[in-house]
Amino acid sequence: MTKKQILINSLFTENAVWRQILGICSALAVTNLLMNSLVMGLGVIFTLACSCFTISMLRNYIPNRIRMMVQVLIIASFVIIVDIFLRAFLPNMSKALGPYVGLIITNCIIMGRAEAFASKNTPVNSAIDGIGAGAGYALVLLIIAFFRELFGFGTLFGVQVLGAWWTKWSIMVMAPSAFFMLALLMWGVYTLQTKAKKS
Amino acid sequence: MEKQKIYFSETKFYPVFFMMVITIICVGILATFYHLTNKRVENYQATQIQKQVLETFELPVMSVKEDYEKYITVRTRDNINFYEAKRDNIVIGYCFPMQGSGLWGTIRALVALDVELSQITGFSIIEQNETPGLGARITEAWFLNQFKKKPIILNDEIIKYSLIPEEEKAGIKEIQQITGATASSRAIVNILYNNLVEIINKFKNS
Repeated sequence: MTKKQILINSLFTENAVWRQILGICSALAVTNLLMNSLVMGLGVIFTLACSCFTISMLRNYIPNRIRMMVQVLIIASFVIIVDIFLRAFLPNMSKALGPYVGLIITNCIIMGRAEAFASKNTPVNSAIDGIGAGAGYALVLLIIAFFRELFGFGTLFGVQVLGAWWTKWSIMVMAPSAFFMLALLMWGVYTLQTKAKKS
Repeated sequence: MEKQKIYFSETKFYPVFFMMVITIICVGILATFYHLTNKRVENYQATQIQKQVLETFELPVMSVKEDYEKYITVRTRDNINFYEAKRDNIVIGYCFPMQGSGLWGTIRALVALDVELSQITGFSIIEQNETPGLGARITEAWFLNQFKKKPIILNDEIIKYSLIPEEEKAGIKEIQQITGATASSRAIVNILYNNLVEIINKFKNS
């Protein structure tokens, strides 16, 4: 596979959320505002790229029996770096995302990519795969957050888009709407992908 | 028989050794990063509290650091730390940090009282872990503003405010609770009562 293929594959074709149904928990939790989703997405992209790169570099030295321990340790370190960075430089964002930054550690996408790709491929390719999977995750978050913020608050990135005539849909701000939106998105993508395959 | 050479990477010690080395490296990097940014985080948190103290007193905030130094002095009496606000050298009120348990975790709050310690002039939440969208609404202005101008003592007794539904009009001893978050609303009223009892008992005597 070429580098471009790797990227497209992990970004769209094998998208972690709508194809592999991974990382759902945080995708549901932080998507009521676009800004939160963007920062969360960037955090995951950073963690994925760095941890996949590092794990791939060490792949020939990591003893097979303890590889998962090592992977979690490396992933956790990068997540804590993201957490400390947010605390120091974007304190309001850190407050808004709350425990979800720390929970990137348990995001299945990252362990999944480390096991499935980084432990078998070269560092650069692994980093590309990581960026692709992370961007795929961020893409889903942004799509869901776009609708939730627009309908729930009438704003996009905090800027008022819909006027006072708009009745805010409170349900869009709360958790259930995330489930509906995610299901609709998966349905839409699945229909499109099967259609594309047939023709 | 020829003795076979065993590489270190095949021994039982290798995984242990590997794990130790990689742990030391990771922890080392994190510790360095933490120390580099720690000061910034602490500064920010200190400024946040200072800003909130000023806001609880309803003092105008232009520059947090300057205004805080101008108006606020930290005092201690009977092991209670509190903030004293002065305007043109006249004491205008006191602000007490208080804490207690909420539904999910500790709630920390600030309450500002007038000079006679007879009524609440401001109330704000520093830290809470209540349910987002429900209990977390205790930080909303309409809820907190209800406490403003509430008397503390009635007939020589410290008032414990009672909760009424959100849409009803609140009397002098009543607070409108948050719909769907009775536990968090009650927690706030209890924290306020418990802490006020302690503060008033200690301070009224002296």
